[in-house]
Amino acid sequence: MKKIIVLITTLLIVTPLAMLLYKSQVLNLSLLPQMVDDVWNFHLTARPKGDHTSFSFPIPKPGPGIKISDERIRSKNFEVFIDSNSDSALATWSSKEPIKQRVTYSARIDLKPLLYKNIPKDYTETYPKGLNRYLKMPTLLPEDVAAINHLEKAILEGNEDKTSVVRKIYYYVEEEIQRNTSIKTIHETLNTGKGSPLIKAKLFNIMARRQKVPSRVVVMVRMPDLKSSAQAKLRFTFANEVFLNNKWIPIDTNRGYFGERPDNFMVIHRNYEEVEKIISKKRVSYAIQAERARINRFNKTEFKKEVIKSDSIFSRLSLYRLPLPLQTMFTTIMLIPIGTLVLSIARNLIGIPTFGIFTPILLTLFFKETSFGFGFLFFSVVVLIGIGERYVLDKFYLLAVPRLSIILTLVIMLMIGYSLFSTDIAFISQKHLAFFPIVIVTTNIERLSIMLTEEGLVNTLKTLFGTLVIAILGYLLYSIHALEMFMFTNPELLFTIIGLLILIGKYKGYRLSEFLRFRDLVRQKKKQTEMISNDIP
Amino acid sequence: MIFRELKELGILGINNRVGRYILRHNKRSNYPLVDNKVLTAQRAEAWGIAMPENYMIVENYGSLKNLHLKIQDYDSFVIKPANGSQGNGIIVIKEIIKEEKNGVTRVLCRRSNDKLMEIEEVKHHISGILSGLYSLAGQSDTAIIQAKIDKHPIFDNYSYGGIPDIRVIVFEGYPVMSMVRLPTKSSDGRANLHQGAIGAGINLSNGCTNNAVIKNQVVEFHPDTGHKLVGLQLPFWRESLELAAQCFDMVELGYLGVDIVLTPDKGPILLELNARPGLGIQIANLAGLVPRLEKIRPQASKNLLARERVDFSMENF
Repeated sequence: MKKIIVLITTLLIVTPLAMLLYKSQVLNLSLLPQMVDDVWNFHLTARPKGDHTSFSFPIPKPGPGIKISDERIRSKNFEVFIDSNSDSALATWSSKEPIKQRVTYSARIDLKPLLYKNIPKDYTETYPKGLNRYLKMPTLLPEDVAAINHLEKAILEGNEDKTSVVRKIYYYVEEEIQRNTSIKTIHETLNTGKGSPLIKAKLFNIMARRQKVPSRVVVMVRMPDLKSSAQAKLRFTFANEVFLNNKWIPIDTNRGYFGERPDNFMVIHRNYEEVEKIISKKRVSYAIQAERARINRFNKTEFKKEVIKSDSIFSRLSLYRLPLPLQTMFTTIMLIPIGTLVLSIARNLIGIPTFGIFTPILLTLFFKETSFGFGFLFFSVVVLIGIGERYVLDKFYLLAVPRLSIILTLVIMLMIGYSLFSTDIAFISQKHLAFFPIVIVTTNIERLSIMLTEEGLVNTLKTLFGTLVIAILGYLLYSIHALEMFMFTNPELLFTIIGLLILIGKYKGYRLSEFLRFRDLVRQKKKQTEMISNDIP
Repeated sequence: MIFRELKELGILGINNRVGRYILRHNKRSNYPLVDNKVLTAQRAEAWGIAMPENYMIVENYGSLKNLHLKIQDYDSFVIKPANGSQGNGIIVIKEIIKEEKNGVTRVLCRRSNDKLMEIEEVKHHISGILSGLYSLAGQSDTAIIQAKIDKHPIFDNYSYGGIPDIRVIVFEGYPVMSMVRLPTKSSDGRANLHQGAIGAGINLSNGCTNNAVIKNQVVEFHPDTGHKLVGLQLPFWRESLELAAQCFDMVELGYLGVDIVLTPDKGPILLELNARPGLGIQIANLAGLVPRLEKIRPQASKNLLARERVDFSMENF
């Protein structure tokens, strides 16, 4: 009998693990879908100043380090034309009447940091015709040209390769020109050694072009950090790109990046000269917002292809074959057995008391479907209703089942009340199952008030606390997104869980709580044996 | 290992109790015999085991209608759920008061804690029992109205309020450990260890208390009466153990908790049985159950009489 249990348990635990090994080693399947980076929800609104029937504004364009999806341009009353022939994209809205409304553009944007280490020496002499515009010199005052000449003599040696030249110019502009937003012309900057971010970028641009290095000023948006408010309006800022070894290399003299662009900067236009007039505040009022969106952190679509391509038994049994809504449901459902594992450990190995058997797991699901803060608050209110109801309705001498039903109805009224007065309506409509667990928990709540009268406050609080501790523990486990995906991707692990549950079920040793319960017994017994041994000299 | 001392003392833990003793020695189909006090009473009658007299069994709400007419003939009574546990849902009425007002008779019940209850409140409590508020798994239940038992005079100085009871753990028909539960003020007169009643361990060989605890803490004197708790000699001790041992033959549960009360006139009578007796008895006795349980050889007990098994227990424990 015992051998059979050992055999079954071992099989249950080991087989799924062996399958995992087979999948990863023989079929070369990954055990988890590829991670997809956090993306930005980007939103832009703009309106021309004055009467214009046509109006243009730069919009992001895919390129190195920037991916764009779900682009949406509102064009109800306008015709929209997007010119993306150059390195940048420019949207043009036109209408028969002057544009008075705001135009909007939104997209989901995935930014990756750019980093070019060890840029090789560059001795390029001639460039393709298309780059000529990046070598054109702006008109400068003769005295400014003289000043730049002077500078070049001081910082350059004259016979270096282009990469080294660019690096020296970068160091000069980055370190010697102090940031000062009120200085807005090259002339002033050369005289004072100070300049705004735009002027610093322009000066770098001029000095690079004078050395025959194709160069441009790029218009960027700095994404908000996670701490700042999502509603914060973003402004344009500027940096450079230079063409070295047939690649555009990012350079930022304002924030000190050479050959590098962190992933919180998004280029919206790659040639400032083209949009200088368009984005001037005199001609347009605009607002840019960006918000972190954690959507599709695991790329299920790609993984589905991978699984199906493997053409093994697993590809036919994979949960990825299910329709998407079912998939979402099962990712949550697959967590329930993990919750039971936590519950079994907590109750049978540790000895934490709980209300009902599965109440903690239902609570965990409720926390997960809503949020911990809200879930906790709502649960507390339900507990209070449960206790309050007993005090109030006790005098009516109602039968128990209708009385329990009254609590249930009260909780539903609470839910309705919440959705009516909450601004966050989407929160409820999207998660139609979210409140189901709490409805089940409610039926356990009246036991709480009975326990309160029969076993006293201390025991009730202990049990309540135990229930919450397990629910929170489960919640922490459920928040590990990788765990959720791992279970969903490898459902055979459910057998391993059954195996572990059998092990816990066969455990006949002491619970941790019994160590405390019998602590006094042990102490008294020790005292007794000491007294006896003292009697016998 | 932090459990080493527990193991050395032979303390029985919950997992071990369930896995090794309850699941293996208690047949599930026999549980109703102990969980349902109505069934226990029927069995006990057939076996000639004394239990408190049941005045009436309330099975449906309809029979509550004329409750006051039925109960006003008794001096006192106890209401309990047939499937209750740990004394939950039990109300003791020690006096029934009839008031004549404008030709209408009003019936009031005085509880053991001197609180007065309207007849409506009594009915409400019974309907709570019927709908399963106090039953083990919340299923609908039956209420028992039972004769109130008087306290044996030996306990006069050892009990506050209610009636003390004797718990005997019986394994395969052998009494293995016992304690007497003495109500206190903080237990609200109930013989329930969780609520703060005293548990006093009993030496099986002579029926003398040898140790006492309140909520896992060793105590020497009764907190309300001040009497010394160790050395109390219980009367009818052998009879009590034989009664407990007989209960095994009656319900055929290998691991059984038998609750006995001592009456002034009839001696020990069976109060109720428990298929999942608690483990606090080990603290009351300052001793572990495991060594005692392991001494019992179920195979050898097959043909022994309750009397013979009690001989073994009194000799060994």
